[in-house]
Amino acid sequence: MSVTVVAIRVLLFIGLLLVWEVGARLANPLLYVPPTAVVPAVRELLALRSYPDLPAHLGLTVREIALAYALAVGAGLGIGFLLAMNKTFGRAWGPILAALYAVPAVVWYPSLMLFFGLDAASKIAFGFLLGFFPIALAVLAGIRQVNPQLVTVATAFGARPAAIFVKVLLPAMLFTLVGGLRTGLALSVVGVIVGEILGSRAGLGSLINHAYGLFRTADYAALVLLTLVLVVASDAGASLLERRARRWTA
Amino acid sequence: MTPLIAIERVAKRYLTSSGAVDALADVSLSVGDGEFCTIIGPSGCGKSTVLGMLGGLVQPDTGRVLIAGEAVTGPDPARVATVFQDPGLFPWRTALDNVAFGLELQGVPRERRRRIAGDLLGPLGLKDFAAKYPRELSGGMRQRVAIGRALAIDTRILLMDEPFGALDEQTRMLMGDWLLDIWRRTSKTVIFVTHSLHEALALSTRVVVMTARPGRVKTVLPLDLPYPRSMESVELVSLRAKLWHEIREESLRAMSEA
Repeated sequence: MSVTVVAIRVLLFIGLLLVWEVGARLANPLLYVPPTAVVPAVRELLALRSYPDLPAHLGLTVREIALAYALAVGAGLGIGFLLAMNKTFGRAWGPILAALYAVPAVVWYPSLMLFFGLDAASKIAFGFLLGFFPIALAVLAGIRQVNPQLVTVATAFGARPAAIFVKVLLPAMLFTLVGGLRTGLALSVVGVIVGEILGSRAGLGSLINHAYGLFRTADYAALVLLTLVLVVASDAGASLLERRARRWTA
Repeated sequence: MTPLIAIERVAKRYLTSSGAVDALADVSLSVGDGEFCTIIGPSGCGKSTVLGMLGGLVQPDTGRVLIAGEAVTGPDPARVATVFQDPGLFPWRTALDNVAFGLELQGVPRERRRRIAGDLLGPLGLKDFAAKYPRELSGGMRQRVAIGRALAIDTRILLMDEPFGALDEQTRMLMGDWLLDIWRRTSKTVIFVTHSLHEALALSTRVVVMTARPGRVKTVLPLDLPYPRSMESVELVSLRAKLWHEIREESLRAMSEA
């Protein structure tokens, strides 16, 4: 990245903060929480003064995300490959999958709470539901875009189905697949946190809900910042995985 | 003595969305060890199907395909290597790793297969391109990588399906000379499918002319001439006229049916 780009980015960031600060002070500082109010709130939050049980909540949310994502990856890959390998099956189910993906997933959440209760299970289910579709659909799209000539060549050189899978299909679809895995992770995070905000007794989302409900807007903003860090960290983790995967196929 | 390759009364019909297509009807052909046999014929005459059967990728509906007396039931990379018209290089592999692909499937250790592939790059004219990816190579280079991939597994039989079809004429001629050189040094048996009279005459020990669909063997033309061949020599000029006469008839038929 060139120095100019970095410089512009820093200026933009400072500019935004300034506009936010001035704007919030001119309007209602309680509603618009200027940066100068957020900073002490973040300090309070991290020092465990505003929410002493933050680590437990954060830990719960991270565990929910991990479990939801693991289930989404397993089911997404499994069902995606099943649909992609079996043409009749795929043709029958593909459009249904795409249609379900198009439905705003949040409409399912009330049922999930009814099925799984107010605790972690419904959040995991929702994170799973959101993460599952992009992964399954990426597998379908990825396999469809593999150049069939490459499969012919590998077959002619004696590759058996397992070798075709590992040496041709996986690397050929890796780009699409990893894209889907990354989107899936982002959506699993969204699912768990939205689930917690919509109704829960514990987790980062429940704290956000609490702060917002009590009008502790500075604490609320600090919690949102923490969520942001969590999301960025998980995406950074995913991009690390992406690089690993690319090295593995090389 | 059994010939290395024997195709006995083979027929093949494809089912397409617009009905059944008879690709091959009653094709018989035998090819001896060390021959450079070219199959030429109009588009859609089933030339590629014949190669597909030899490579074990296509099964005949009737008849038999034998290699060294044994029926071909599937791909046999120990005996047969194929170069396709679409080279089908793996875009995520370097030229070197593409050449080494077949060896990798056979479980040849990494160091050894890289050495074998590396040794091939020199004669392929790709010495400085080992670490390049297919997208960084010209069309002729890509096809040479595909040929290298086929040569690397060092089979008795080399099947080539219009390998130079997508290249410009000058490159084709150079590639032909180069292939001839490889063939004479390795004494492999080559089955070469082409549309080009020039390639057929310059390279082959025998030219097989196929009819328009459904494909049959129309004529077999032995070419017992020394290499390198001059297209201006009296024999070749008359052979060329003869070959063109045979092919022209079939191409006209194929065109009127299309």
